[in-house]
Amino acid sequence: MRSRERFGYLLLAPALLVMGAFLLGPIAAAFVTSLHVDTPFAPRRFVGLENYALLLEDEAALGSLEFTLLFVVVSVALEVAGGLVVALVLDRWRRGQGLVRAAVLLPWAMPTVVAAVMWKYIFNDQYGLVNALMYGDALERYQAWLAHPLGARAAIILADVWKSTSFAALLILAGLQAVPRELLEAARADGAGPLRRLLWVRLPLIRPAILVAVLFRTIDALRVFDLVYVMTRGAPAGATDVLQFYGYQKMFPEQQFGYGAAVSVCVFLLALGLSLLAMRLVGTRSWAR
Amino acid sequence: MAARAPGGLGTQPRRARSARGRAALWLAALAALASGAAGCGPGAEPPGVVTVRLVVWRPDIPEAWERALALFHARHPGIRVVRELGPSSSSELHALLTQKLRNRDRSVDAFIMDVVWAAELALAGWALPLDERLPPAERERFFPAAIEAVTVEGRLYGVPFNTDAGLLYYRKDLLAAAGLEPPETWPELVAHAEAARAAARAAGLPGAAGIYGYSGQFRQYEGLVCNMLEFIRSHGGRLTAPDEPPALAAVAFVRDRIIGGAAPRGALTWAEQESLEVFKSGGAVFLRSWPYAWAVLQDPAQSAVAGRVGIAPLPRFEGGPSTSCLGGWSFGIHRASRHPEQAWAVVRFLTSPEVQRLFAVLAGKAPARRALYADPEVLAANPHFAALRPVFERAVPRPRSPIYPQISYILQRYLHAALSDPASDLPALAQQARRRLERARARLGR
Repeated sequence: MRSRERFGYLLLAPALLVMGAFLLGPIAAAFVTSLHVDTPFAPRRFVGLENYALLLEDEAALGSLEFTLLFVVVSVALEVAGGLVVALVLDRWRRGQGLVRAAVLLPWAMPTVVAAVMWKYIFNDQYGLVNALMYGDALERYQAWLAHPLGARAAIILADVWKSTSFAALLILAGLQAVPRELLEAARADGAGPLRRLLWVRLPLIRPAILVAVLFRTIDALRVFDLVYVMTRGAPAGATDVLQFYGYQKMFPEQQFGYGAAVSVCVFLLALGLSLLAMRLVGTRSWAR
Repeated sequence: MAARAPGGLGTQPRRARSARGRAALWLAALAALASGAAGCGPGAEPPGVVTVRLVVWRPDIPEAWERALALFHARHPGIRVVRELGPSSSSELHALLTQKLRNRDRSVDAFIMDVVWAAELALAGWALPLDERLPPAERERFFPAAIEAVTVEGRLYGVPFNTDAGLLYYRKDLLAAAGLEPPETWPELVAHAEAARAAARAAGLPGAAGIYGYSGQFRQYEGLVCNMLEFIRSHGGRLTAPDEPPALAAVAFVRDRIIGGAAPRGALTWAEQESLEVFKSGGAVFLRSWPYAWAVLQDPAQSAVAGRVGIAPLPRFEGGPSTSCLGGWSFGIHRASRHPEQAWAVVRFLTSPEVQRLFAVLAGKAPARRALYADPEVLAANPHFAALRPVFERAVPRPRSPIYPQISYILQRYLHAALSDPASDLPALAQQARRRLERARARLGR
């Protein structure tokens, strides 16, 4: 037993080493950096939690926190709701099943940067598709969507929803296909209509899948960077600034590594907290039924 | 990839030994590959040849670079220049270059630097002082502002390559049709733009309804700072004192009369490329841009308005000076370079009259050397340089500070907020920006 256990650890060792070197190491390093003032102009200096204290009074950082949270809530809600609908349709779709599923997954397979450039053009003020569809040849009525706080925010959320709904759909579809047919037939035999079967048989059974979709999307959405970097760079006037982009701005263009690291650590802690919360919800109540 | 290899080991416990053997093979292969890659570097050179690595942006006219480097290699058989091409956007190139310099990356010997970077690169100890190499008598051959931009605390850290300054491009045909001259003042520009558009519509010019009055760079990025510096300074204001009345009035003018007035609101999302796109397709009466736009606008293959464009100094406000933002690039040498002498030979060559002439003729770059403004070849390709020399001579630098990127970001956010909301509370925003500027400066010392 003892040697078996040791062998188990031996097998785990490479994975743990890689995790340690590429995951825990950088996180620890970022945390250590966040406790310093680290600029190119002076030797690195330990300042304790000062960077975090400054962060709490930094209106730009708080503004980007606000939009990050708004982005997470709205885009995840739309993606999971949309994903559920898509999954329900795909679950019943028989003709050309493989092709249809591949088509639905296409946005997810596309690199985010490419998708972001595409959406930037779609919302372009001079020749964007949105303007062409809404106003046709009336060029003078064309709107600069990305110059309005609301328009820019909506554009970024829409781009994310377009891209990630299919991912949520995929997870939920897997859950749907695991629903035992007998249960649905039994419900039908008992006289339950389609709506009741959905609400009282399917939904409770796919709850874990939905929660997993919510969890994955939430963590991913919290780390949004590429859409903002390509589409708006935080404009107009910081309305679409998100935490990750703000941290990047502090670290790379401005060379404030300690301060930028503090932003990154906050994003990490937010994601960790949400994951733990979601793991509890998913892990204990539903999967251990 | 790295995560997969050890995972493979773990999933095949019984064949662990052979897997380990395979891993060793892989490692050996990797090592061979790495040494091979190193072989392509300095090791692979013929003896006596030194490679100078130069970080520079991806050029829009590659031919000029190829010609210059061919010339250099022919004259300096002992030096090989390898360019590392970075993004053409100044801020993105800055992020890349500072990363390399911060890591003391030995593969960087020399680099191109934007006019606003010198203080940072010098104070961080990344750029090599060049005082002894470029004596004062030589410095006088360049525009003083360009030399001043690369001088930090009395020491020289770069040699100017080209100079840039904001210019006003206008549609000669549209102004002539309305019987107008190029505007002297900003309010005049707004009025001229309106009159020229009205005349174009009255004459039934095709697409006249879609012509804007003014095109410029108002996206939240570095160019916004340049554009607004020109408005604010030409009203007697200061960029770093945004809450003073002259600066406030200039910003209010842009917000009320330019954005959503002479220019569409979409200008808030335009950088150089978008603003030039609008103008060169015939979509605007006026364009504020840099000297490079001339070559593009005069090229019938790229421009629908070739031959119908005029150039003038930027307008001013009543009682203020016409102001152009100083731009331009210099070459510096990495302090950690192992080949400073060879790097200097490259920098000296690239900033020589010969190469500056080449870039002026082939790429429309305005030379940083003053004598070239009387050079027949340069003037034949760029006839407007003669009249615009005073503009280049007087161009106004952006704030000089080692934390310029922070200053710029604070200004960008303030200016974009001020311009994008027609009902913005300007004095409050400006005071907030000023407080942020002061806070950033106060923290520099720590």
